[in-house]
Amino acid sequence: MSDNDSDNDDVRTDGSGSGIVAPDDETPSWSERKQRTQGLSRLTYEYFERGRREDQDLRQQSDYVERDVLAFPAWPHEMMRNLALTSFFVGMILFVSAALPPEMPNPANSSVTPAIILPDWYLYWSFGLLKLGPLNPDLAILGGQKIMADRTYGVLANVVVVGFVAIVPFLNKGAARRPVEQPFWAAVGMSGVIFSLTIAALSIKNLVPMNSHLLFDLTFLVPIVSGTITYAVLKTMREGYMFTLNRRYYRLRPPK
Amino acid sequence: MSLERKDDHDHKGWMESRELSPLETIYLTTLVWLDKRLRIVDYLEILEDLYYKVNMQMPKSHTEQYNLDNKFWYWYPLYALGSFSTVAYIVAAISGALLGFYYAPAAAAADGSPTVAYDSVLLIMGQLNMGYFLRSVHRWAAQIMVAAVFLHMLRVYFTGAYKEPRELNWLIGIILISLTLVFGYTGYLLPWSQLSYWAGQIGVEMSLSIPLIGEWVAQLMFGGFTLSQATLQRMYILHVFFLPFITTAIIALHIGIVWMQGIAEPH
Repeated sequence: MSDNDSDNDDVRTDGSGSGIVAPDDETPSWSERKQRTQGLSRLTYEYFERGRREDQDLRQQSDYVERDVLAFPAWPHEMMRNLALTSFFVGMILFVSAALPPEMPNPANSSVTPAIILPDWYLYWSFGLLKLGPLNPDLAILGGQKIMADRTYGVLANVVVVGFVAIVPFLNKGAARRPVEQPFWAAVGMSGVIFSLTIAALSIKNLVPMNSHLLFDLTFLVPIVSGTITYAVLKTMREGYMFTLNRRYYRLRPPK
Repeated sequence: MSLERKDDHDHKGWMESRELSPLETIYLTTLVWLDKRLRIVDYLEILEDLYYKVNMQMPKSHTEQYNLDNKFWYWYPLYALGSFSTVAYIVAAISGALLGFYYAPAAAAADGSPTVAYDSVLLIMGQLNMGYFLRSVHRWAAQIMVAAVFLHMLRVYFTGAYKEPRELNWLIGIILISLTLVFGYTGYLLPWSQLSYWAGQIGVEMSLSIPLIGEWVAQLMFGGFTLSQATLQRMYILHVFFLPFITTAIIALHIGIVWMQGIAEPH
């Protein structure tokens, strides 16, 4: 059978051909096609070409090490380590669940309000933010009326807290990684952690053996105090710490 | 002309001429079979590219370059928290799927009498072999996942790991932590006990107090302004259908980005 030779003009209609048309001189190559395009796609192409050049420059730098494997081999070393850690961790979950099984409260009853209404512990902070009614400002211009309902205020507080945490990377920039390099942000973080604990305590205020007004004040005071202490401690540590760090760096890479 | 299709490339003859081991023969046969159907050859370049990207050759990490392991070893356990939350998520998913065989999300009433949902949880705890343990595992896996996620976030914050170029992954992390909390909340409502009911009540009131869209949110999430069968049904579908798909996908994205960008070590 020679009917699939290229010099035969018969078109095969049994579907057995490859279906691919060979490129002729007019057909642009893939790279030509990319180079020819205009506008945004052209811009994208140029950007990636530039990125490729930068990659190449990086590879040619002296401190760049070409290796087959990045540090620890994934198989079997890393996998075995992960397997061991994972087994241990799963075992821990099984152990805790065998030791501390959950309770089952009474069936739902809409006519009996329980003395304590609580979500799970990890939502205490959010629940506590719903109880910030006393901070809801009442405006003199509205004749002492509150601008929004207390519960709206609480929901808004949740949004504000989560929103603040979300924009942290856009507020705190730079290469610093350690708390000691940025005492302020470490202090913000520490007061945030403490606030999440105190606001959780506020959410269960009828279980905390303390005057509720005092608890409310402490909810905001304790985070500020602990933030200040963190700041002071880190600021004090900083000088010696940075000195040792710089000495270590300069020993490894003496300035020219 | 035979009706049988011809092998244009004579794969069979080529393979016979190669003196392949049985394993190689099986491999090649499978590959050719798949290639004829899926044209894998078209994607070979992409696969090769992917292979090199996955095994990307990175510059020495900071810790490695300056031999700082002695300085940072105490941070390292904290770097396992992300993995731990993933492991706990998988444990919760498996135990949850098993619980789903027995749980029924039906609660016509909230008058203090045991509902179908409540009874099915009691059945799991009382009648089913290992059922109490199963529920306990699911609950504790969830608790530990939430705890690990919180601590993971703190680790990322205090080691400055959210900084450029990892801002996007921080935002994805915020979404993930919220989804984890919603996961916990919806699961909390499923037994339809007193605690579940009143936690649901708080949820409805919170939704209703959102300005402008509050009523719409309450309708969408809780199926009305008061708790009913619709609420439980929605919580159930959120818990076992929507959230698992969404959360799993976003976790995969989160870990993929970490893989691509590498771990951010403290400097």
